[in-house]
Amino acid sequence: MRRRMRNVALGAVASVSVLAAIAGCGSSGGSSSATTGVTLKLYNDKGAWSPYFNQLGTMSKKDIGIGMSPVGYTDEPTYQAFIQASFHTNKKPDLFTWQTGGQLAEIAQLHQVANTTSIWQQGIADGDLPKGLEQYYTVGGQQYCVPLNVAYWGMFYNKAIFTKYGLTPPTNWTQFMHVAQVLKSHGVTPFYETDVLFSFVWFEQLLAGTDPQVYEQLSTGKASYTSPAVVNVMKMWQTMINDGYMSDPADKTDPSVMLKNGQVAMVPDGSWFNTSMTQQNLKPGVDYGYFIIPNVNPSLPKTSVILESGPLCSLVNAPDEAASMKYLKWWITPAAQQPWSSARGDASANPKVSVTGDTDLSTVMKNAGAGQYNLLLRYFEAAPPPVLAAALDAFGAFMVHPNSYMTQLQTIQQAQQTYWSSHQAGS
Amino acid sequence: MTTRTPLRLTPPRVPAALAAGRRGRRGHGDRALFGRFRHGYIAPGALIVAGLLYLPFLWTVYLSFTNYDGLTPATWAGFANYRALLHDPALLTSIRNTLIWVAGTTLLPVGLGLLVAVLSYNLRGGAWLRLPFLLPYAFSGAGIGLVWGVLLSPGGTINHLLGFFHLPGASTPLLSYAPLNTIVLIIAMTWQQIGVNTLLFVVGLQSIPREPIEAAKIDGASGWSMFRRVIWPLLTPLTTVVVGLALVASLKTFDVVWVATQGGPGRSSETLAVTMYRDTFVADQYGYGSAVAVLLTVVTGVVSVIYLRQQLARREGLSG
Repeated sequence: MRRRMRNVALGAVASVSVLAAIAGCGSSGGSSSATTGVTLKLYNDKGAWSPYFNQLGTMSKKDIGIGMSPVGYTDEPTYQAFIQASFHTNKKPDLFTWQTGGQLAEIAQLHQVANTTSIWQQGIADGDLPKGLEQYYTVGGQQYCVPLNVAYWGMFYNKAIFTKYGLTPPTNWTQFMHVAQVLKSHGVTPFYETDVLFSFVWFEQLLAGTDPQVYEQLSTGKASYTSPAVVNVMKMWQTMINDGYMSDPADKTDPSVMLKNGQVAMVPDGSWFNTSMTQQNLKPGVDYGYFIIPNVNPSLPKTSVILESGPLCSLVNAPDEAASMKYLKWWITPAAQQPWSSARGDASANPKVSVTGDTDLSTVMKNAGAGQYNLLLRYFEAAPPPVLAAALDAFGAFMVHPNSYMTQLQTIQQAQQTYWSSHQAGS
Repeated sequence: MTTRTPLRLTPPRVPAALAAGRRGRRGHGDRALFGRFRHGYIAPGALIVAGLLYLPFLWTVYLSFTNYDGLTPATWAGFANYRALLHDPALLTSIRNTLIWVAGTTLLPVGLGLLVAVLSYNLRGGAWLRLPFLLPYAFSGAGIGLVWGVLLSPGGTINHLLGFFHLPGASTPLLSYAPLNTIVLIIAMTWQQIGVNTLLFVVGLQSIPREPIEAAKIDGASGWSMFRRVIWPLLTPLTTVVVGLALVASLKTFDVVWVATQGGPGRSSETLAVTMYRDTFVADQYGYGSAVAVLLTVVTGVVSVIYLRQQLARREGLSG
C-alpha cells in the first residue's frame, strides 16, 4: 500500500514537473532591471499599426537606450481579456494600450496602473501635453497613462465625387443635408455606416450635435436612453436611413476602399483614418478631404467634436517599472511624437507637433487648440462596458430594422439601469 | 432477403505462441511492473485533464453564481444570473439559432456527405471526385467565417451570382436578417464539412463485409433497395458516430459566426457559444457569461448522452 502510494506520488511529481516545464516554456523569462539596453513589449489592440510601433522602437533604442517591440491584437475582447488577466498573474506587459473614460477609471481604482502625475506635470510645463487633455487621464485627482494618440472625429470625403457634383464641405447642417441629397440624386450613397463595432458612430455624432449635455449625461448614468432628446436623434437617424443616405451596414468592405472606389462619398471616422487612406495610396487634400461635421442644432455655441484619445500605460508592478516610466516620459516628447504623427499622418497629443501635408487636419488641430470646439469623449470610451455592449448590438439591429428604434433604446436603457444600479451615477 | 449480420466489436485474436508468452514468467513480470506504476503512467494525462478541463469548469460554475466583472473581486449573486437567463430575449434568439444549427449541420453535411460517398464509391476515379469536397476541410472555422463573410456581404459574390442567374435574393443582404443569416452560415459550414463526412462514410462502406451484399444481390436487391435494406443498416454504427460528432460540433458553433457577423446585427445570429463569449468578454459580465457557459455545457452533455444512449440501445436491440 505504502509502495503504491509512493509510486502515485512519484507519478504526480513527474507530472507536475512536466506541467511546470510546459508552463516555463511560455514565460518571457522576465526583463532586466536596468533602464537601458532592454526591449519593452508594448501590448496593443492596434495590430495594423505594428510597422509604426516598430519604427518608434528603433528610434527609442537610439534616443534613450530602450527598445520597444509591439505585440498587436486585432480582436478587442481578446485583447482586453488578456490585459485584465495579466492583473492577476505574473505575465505582465511592460506597456499596454487601453481606453480612457470608465475603463481607465476601473483599472486606476484597482491600483493596477502606474501613476503618471509627475509626467503630466512636467509635460504640461514643457508644453508637450495640452492642459485640456489632462481631464481624460485623471482619476481621483491623479493622472494615469499618457496619450498614445489623439484623434478628432470628422467626415472624410472623396474629393473627385465632390468636385464632379460641384459640392464643397458644408459648414452648417442644412448644407450638410443638401450635400447628401445631391449625392443621392446622382445615385451616389452619401454616408458610410456599419453594424459591427462602430455602430455607435452616427448616434454619437447626431446626439453630440443636437444636445451635447444629454450626450455626456448618458455616459454618467444621469440621462435616460428613452428621453425625448435621444428618441428624436434616433428618429433623425431613421429618416437618414430611409432616405437612402447610408451604405448597407452589413457590408464588410473596408471603408477606405469604399471611399476610394466611390461606393460611398463620405466616411465619418477618427483622424487616424488617415492611416488607412495612406495605405490605399490616397493623398490628403488631393484624393480626399476632411471636415468637421456641423451641429444639427445651430444654436449651440460651439461645434461639437468627438475626441478620441487612447492611453499608453504601464502597470504598477510592471516587469521593469523604471524602464517603462522612462519610456512613457520619452513618448510624449516631440522626438517621439513627430515621427509617430508623420508616419501615420494623424494628429498628435503634443501641440508642438505639426501634421505635414494635410491642411484639413492641421486646421482642425489648430482650431481645437484654440478652443473653438466643444470636445466630447468618444462614446466607445465614455459608455460603461456593459452599456456599450448592449448599445453596439442595439444600434446594429436598428440599422437593419430602422422602425425598431424605441425597442432598441429600451434595450440599452435596461443595460443602463442594471449597470448604474450597482455603480454610483455620475462617478 | 438474408438476415442481418450484426456488427460486433470483438477483441483481436491473439496468436497462441504470443498468448503463451504472456502467460510466461517474463510477461508476468512486465505486467506486475506495469501494475505497480500504472497510476504514475496515468497521472500526467489525468493531471492535465483535471488542471485544464475540470478545474476551469468548476471555476466557471462558481463564477456563474457571482457578479464578477473581470476586474473587481467577485461578489456572491446566488441564482440571479440563472434567473436573468430566463428573461433574456437575446438568449432565446441564441437558443433558437443553436437549434437551427443543430438541425442544419446534422442534416446537410451528414446527408450530403453520405450521398457523395455512396455515389462515388466503387466508381472509377471516385477518389478524385471526392477530393474537391475534402479540400475545404483544411480551412479553420475562422477562415470559413472570413471568406464566406466577404462572399455573403451585400453586393458580394453570392448576390452577384444570384443576379447573374436571375435568381431571387440578388439584392437581399444575406447576413442582415434572421434566420436567413444563420441559414447561409450553415450552408458555409456544410461546404466545409461535406468532405470529411464523405471520407468517414467511404471508410464505413469499405468496412462492410462482402457477404451480406452478395447475398442481397442473389436475393435481387439493387440500387435504392440495396442501400435502404442492406448498406444503410450496416452503416448505422458509423452514422451514429458521425451524427454524434456533428451534433456536439453544432451545439458549440462559435468561430464561423463570430468572424462572419460577430453574432449580429443586433445579436440576431448569435449561438449559445457566441452569447457566452459576448456576455463574458465584450460586456465584461463574467458571472452572467459563466451562467451561459454552464447552460451550454449542460445542454451539450444532456443532448449527447440522450443521443448516444438511444443509439446504443438501438444497436443493442439490433444485435440482441
